[in-house]
Amino acid sequence: MPILKINDREVHIQELNKAAAETVILVHGMFSNLSVYYFSIAPILATQFHVVLYDLKSHGMSEKTLHGYDLNSMTDDLLALMEALNLKKVHLGGYSFGGLIALKMATRFPERIKKLAVIEAPDPSDEKARGIIDEYSREFLEHYVENFTDTTKVKMGKRQMEKNHRMYEYLFYQTSIKQDMINEQDFFGAGGLTRVPHETFLLYGWFSNCLDAGKLLNKKIKNSRLLAIEGDHNIPIQHPQQVADELLIFFKQP
Amino acid sequence: MDTITTATKMNSEEIFNLMKQFITEVIGEEFVEEMDITPESSFTKDLEMDSIEIVSFSEKIKAHFGDQIDFTGWLSEMDLDQLINLNLGMIISYIETCQS
Repeated sequence: MPILKINDREVHIQELNKAAAETVILVHGMFSNLSVYYFSIAPILATQFHVVLYDLKSHGMSEKTLHGYDLNSMTDDLLALMEALNLKKVHLGGYSFGGLIALKMATRFPERIKKLAVIEAPDPSDEKARGIIDEYSREFLEHYVENFTDTTKVKMGKRQMEKNHRMYEYLFYQTSIKQDMINEQDFFGAGGLTRVPHETFLLYGWFSNCLDAGKLLNKKIKNSRLLAIEGDHNIPIQHPQQVADELLIFFKQP
Repeated sequence: MDTITTATKMNSEEIFNLMKQFITEVIGEEFVEEMDITPESSFTKDLEMDSIEIVSFSEKIKAHFGDQIDFTGWLSEMDLDQLINLNLGMIISYIETCQS
């Protein structure tokens, strides 16, 4: 299993097509892991690009840690990952919370990013988007799983339920993730986004409750284009081929 | 870091036993003991493996067989229903095809 030591913690990474000239880094969302890209989206991008995926701290197979879920810390980690892999400038894509990390990266280290793709990033000031963090309970997880089951057709078994429950309990009650997210609520309003210079692709689901966030980003980021496709917040799971094709076209365009 | 082993040609029983070993390494012996793993066992329904565990399993296949097989490429051609219904027998057949 490819593990790198980044900022004194073990980070699980996956790389595809290392020989390609240009690199795309993809960042997954909260309570998820790199597998959201690994089986379908990454192999399509890897037909043209070196693709780097990594598990965020305490997610997937990366090391658990109690602190540092604010966007500054998350982008410090991403920059350190780029340094470790000797990547000077990359195309960057992020989904959901990973989209916020990608946006923050573009504001803090613009010179390290070529093009920016943001998939379904929520507005951190939207209480509904943050609500998931305030409302966690075992019942919540069961409800979430029922909905999740509707979209992916996979019924979560006992072992998976326990595994997910442990992850949620750890993240919600032991780490600083909740407070760190609350502290980010002014991110869209703070002004930094209007200075994002990159060509930016905003990809959202028509029926997503985050679509308004996409429209807001479209207004704020000068060089941005918004595309809404069939689906809701789960578009990478619902329509991986389409998401991958759109990303590939975007990153390939000169 | 996993090392790449050059595998000699294996028959279906040997591949099945190797797959069982990989599954045990990924999900842990205590869970495997409670299961009756057969070639008909599906990854998501019967073995209850989630996608990050299947990534780990794929890594083990890659590390063992190297360039001999493109397991991730093969999986990437499947749609969601096919992935959900993926069972051990299908992987054994795929590996056998790649070896022939």
